[in-house]
Parts: sequence; C-alpha cells; structure tokens
Amino acid sequence: MEILYNSMYYVGAAALILIGLYVILVKSNLIKVIIGIHLLDTGVNVLLVSVGYIKGGKAPIFTGTSLGPTQFVDPIPQALVLTAIVIGVGVVALALSIAIKLHEHYGTLDLRRIKELKW
Amino acid sequence: MVASLLIAIPFLGAFAVPLFGLVSKRLSHYVPALALLANLIISIVLIPQVMSEPIIVSIGGFTPPLCINLVVGPLGLLLAILISLVGLLVAVYGVNYIQEEPREKYHMLLLCLLAGATGMVLTGDIFNLFVFFEILSLSSYALTAYNKDRGGTEAAIKYLIQGSIGSAFILIAIALLYGLFGTLNMADIASMVGGADSTFLFISLALLIAGFGIEAAIFPLNAWLPDAHSSAPSSVSATLSGIAIETGAYAVARVTYTVFNADGIMTLIAVMGVITLLIGEMSAFRQKEDIKRLLAYSSIGQMGLILFAFGISTQSGVFAALFQLVSHTLAKSLLFLAVGYMIYRVGSKKLAAFSGLGRRMPVSSFVFTMAAFSLIGLPPFAGFMSKFSVVRAALELKDPMFLWFVVLMLIATVIEAGYFFRIIQNMFFKQGNNIEGVKEAPLSCLVPIGILAVLIVVIGIYPQLVSGMLKAAAQGLVERAAYIQYVLGVP
Repeated sequence: MEILYNSMYYVGAAALILIGLYVILVKSNLIKVIIGIHLLDTGVNVLLVSVGYIKGGKAPIFTGTSLGPTQFVDPIPQALVLTAIVIGVGVVALALSIAIKLHEHYGTLDLRRIKELKW
Repeated sequence: MVASLLIAIPFLGAFAVPLFGLVSKRLSHYVPALALLANLIISIVLIPQVMSEPIIVSIGGFTPPLCINLVVGPLGLLLAILISLVGLLVAVYGVNYIQEEPREKYHMLLLCLLAGATGMVLTGDIFNLFVFFEILSLSSYALTAYNKDRGGTEAAIKYLIQGSIGSAFILIAIALLYGLFGTLNMADIASMVGGADSTFLFISLALLIAGFGIEAAIFPLNAWLPDAHSSAPSSVSATLSGIAIETGAYAVARVTYTVFNADGIMTLIAVMGVITLLIGEMSAFRQKEDIKRLLAYSSIGQMGLILFAFGISTQSGVFAALFQLVSHTLAKSLLFLAVGYMIYRVGSKKLAAFSGLGRRMPVSSFVFTMAAFSLIGLPPFAGFMSKFSVVRAALELKDPMFLWFVVLMLIATVIEAGYFFRIIQNMFFKQGNNIEGVKEAPLSCLVPIGILAVLIVVIGIYPQLVSGMLKAAAQGLVERAAYIQYVLGVP
C-alpha cells in the first residue's frame, strides 16, 4: 500500500490510460469511443504532469521568498500539458463533427454497422 | 533565421487564405501555390550552406539544450525540398480540381498539412516533433473527410481513432523520456541515452515506433491507409501518399537512429518492412475493383520497402532508403494526380471503366505508365536506380538472412509488375465502352504531372543529381555523434 500511495498519480494516470484504451477497443458506439479517446488523452496529461510534480511543491514563481529550487514543481511538463490539452480538444471536436456527418449518411453511430469500405 | 521561414511561410499562408478570400475568392486559391513556391526557392537557396554545415536555429536566444531549436541538416532539407515541390504541384493541381465548397478550407488545411510535415523534418526537439505530427495528422483527418461523402467520413473516423491512439502513445513515450533525462532536445537525449535504464528506454522506443508506425503504415498498424487514401479527393491522396506517410517513416528513422542508437532493433525493422512489403503488394494484386485502393495498397508495399532499407542500417542502406523514398514520392503523387482526372472524366473508380483510355487521354495515360514503370523498377526511371541501390545495400551485408529478404523483395516486385501491367494493358490494348465523350485532362493537371514525369526520367538517367545530397543525408542520419556535436556544440 505504501508504494501505491507514493506513486498515486502514476497509478491514476495508468488507470485512466487503460480505461481509455479499453473503451476505444471494446465499445461500438462512436460517442463512447470518442469519450474513450478523451480519457486516454487525459490519462497521458496526468502522467506528464506527475512526472514534474514534487510533493508539496509550489508554483515556480520567484518572488524573493526563501524557497529553493527543490521546492518548486517542474514547469516544463505543465507547458507541455497545456499544448497537449489544446491538441486533444481539437481532435475531439473534429471527431464529433465527423460523427455528425456519419449520422447523416448512415443514420446510426454503431460502428459495427458502418463498414462499407472493406479490406 | 532564414530556415525558420520554411515553417513560417506555410502557416502564414494558411491563415492568409481566408483573408484573401474576403477580397476575392479566386485570388485565395492561388495562395498555397505561391507560399510553397517561396518555400521551394528558399530551400533550394539553402542547399550549398547546409551541405557544408547544418544550420541550427535556436529560438528565443538560448543555447540549444535549453531552447526549442530547428536542425536544418541535409536530411531535413532534402525532405523539405521534396515536401515543398510535391506540395506546390498538388496546390497547382488543386486550383481547378477541387470544386466542392468551401474551397478556402481545403487550401488552408493543405497548407497546414504541409507546414506540419516541414516542421516534423526540420525540428530538433522531440515534443515539437509531436506537435508538428499532430498538426499534420489533424489536417489529414479533416482533408480525408473533405468531400463529406459516405466513404470519406467513414475513412476519416477510422483514421482519426487509430491516429489518436498513436499520438497518445507518442506522448506517453515523451513523458517517460522527460522523466528519465529531464530534457526534450533530441540531441541532448541522444547524448545521455547510453547510461539510462534499458527497460524504460525499450518501452519508450516501442511506444514511439508504434505511434509513428501508425502514420507510416507499418504492417499491423496499416488498417486505416487503404480506406483513407482511396476515399479522399485525389489531390489529398497524392499528398497523403507522397508526403504524410514518408514523414512517418522519417520520424521512425530519426528516433531509432539518432535518439536511441537502437542497433539491436534494426533487424526487427527490416523484418517488419519485408512483411509490410509482401502484405501490401499481395493486397494490391487481388484488388480488382477500385483503382485508388490498389494504389493505396501499393503505397503500403513501398513503405515496407523503405523500412526494409532503413533496417539494413549501414550508410548505403540508409542511402537506398532515402532514394527509394524520393522516387516513391514522385511516382506515387504522379499516379494519384493522373488518376484523379481519369476518375473525374470517366465517372467511376472501377478498373474496368479505364479500358481504352489510352486513346482518349493519351498524355495522362502515358505519364501514368511512366510512373508505374518507375514504381516497378524498370530502367531508365528513378525507381530502377533506387531499387537497385536497395538490393546492392542488402547484398553488401553478406548476411544469408538478408539474401532471403532480397529474394522476397524481388518476388514482391514481380507481384507489383503483375498488377501495374494489368492496368496498363487495360488502358492501351482494350476497347472501352462509353468513353466517347472523354477529353484529355486540363493544363492545370498536365503541367504538374508532366513536371513529375520529367523528374522521374531525369533522376533515373542522371542519379548523380540527387545522390550527393542523399549521401550527405544518409551520413547525417547514421553518424549521430556528429549530429549531437553540431547541436550541442561540445565534442
């Protein structure tokens, strides 16, 4: 339990990633798959942030107080996550708009019934 | 700083398209061609400087491990030239070919795609590689669905789901690498990679290869490609087949060679390449209905060949891989562009509808034949020289396993010849029905495919035109110590 507690954020990130992958692979409703994509993205973002996290760390703003560099969290992963969140929103928005078009053409969002293009 | 214009110009162009559209709709359709022409000129002007020493552009005034940097080496510049050349021709073609409104969005997305591809080949920062990769993939998802028809939307959603899983993998790998090394600069990671925990390195390498492998259509990850390339508008198919998947292959090569120095995994890459080659060519051979789907499967096969040549992992192997990449880009974009107007004129994608087209569309059919011969590897076209160098590089290893791979590769070439000859025979030696009214393609199509055809023949006859640059590019990829030294500035 001790290890689990100490690496809580990593465990959470891995759980989110695996749940996302599971949803994408197993569900046949397109909206659920898109939710899965978003869960996967979120899990990766949590992983990125927790790479730079220090327990009890402060935001890295130098204000003249006596905080040393070891008490600051790493700002670079947070910058990366900002970018990754924007990209994730773009992907999900595009996926939803394609889903609308698919529903217009096929009258369904069930991926098992959208299979006109064959291997 | 001139080198950073190569990325800035396409992006500025992309956002200028709707602004020009406010003034005049007609004017805005020429913006991509102008932007890419500027890119092509800049990148050709940069050649002599880059051949003597790679240009490092540091953004923000910090020195490389701290800042985001661009590394314009021979390899990056070679691919940038290829991207802007093919992009220019596709943009000229698209002015008349794309009739579906809103046309400004097509031109914007095309420029974004090409800017993403250029950024991928020029960047020296692994997170920027991911960002540019996402720009490229997002615009290609949208362009696949551009016609908004049944096939296009279905293909786009397949492509999107698989592509976003791939990019999540890449981001996980980047998080692992950052956790291990505390840096994102590829040269900095490469200099520290020797002393790190091999389990984490292996996991992140596997995730990166899987992520970029989805874009590069390596065999078990290629399910999206035939759908997307065959359902997209033909000019988009030419861009995807000629540029997007090649940048995926570039990313795989850059990661395995420069960042990880993964010698042990090269045989695996060669095996995956040969499997991809055989699966792609066999699927293309049994494709008797849809000509674009056949060409898409042939792209998978060619990607396998490029990957196989990268897997040889000697300098001549990398040279052969890059040569094959160049000749495939030229030939496959020509094929898709030519087929675009053939389908438009005939009104069907069916192979049978193309019978007798050699008389009705003589120029298009003729250059189609040239490109097909180049892909098969017949002299005097570029494909012969590139396939020949792949075979030579593989035999130089004197490894019995690679001898068998060459045998399999030649079998795949025979299969490839089988289906291309079937199309060509259909075009020239069969009587067609219902094609009386078919006219030749317009000039905006004939000029781009004519230029590509001339390039294929010229490179085939005078390979020394490109081989100097290709050799320098191969050297830049294999000699990672020199790359690290150029970027970080320490021996």
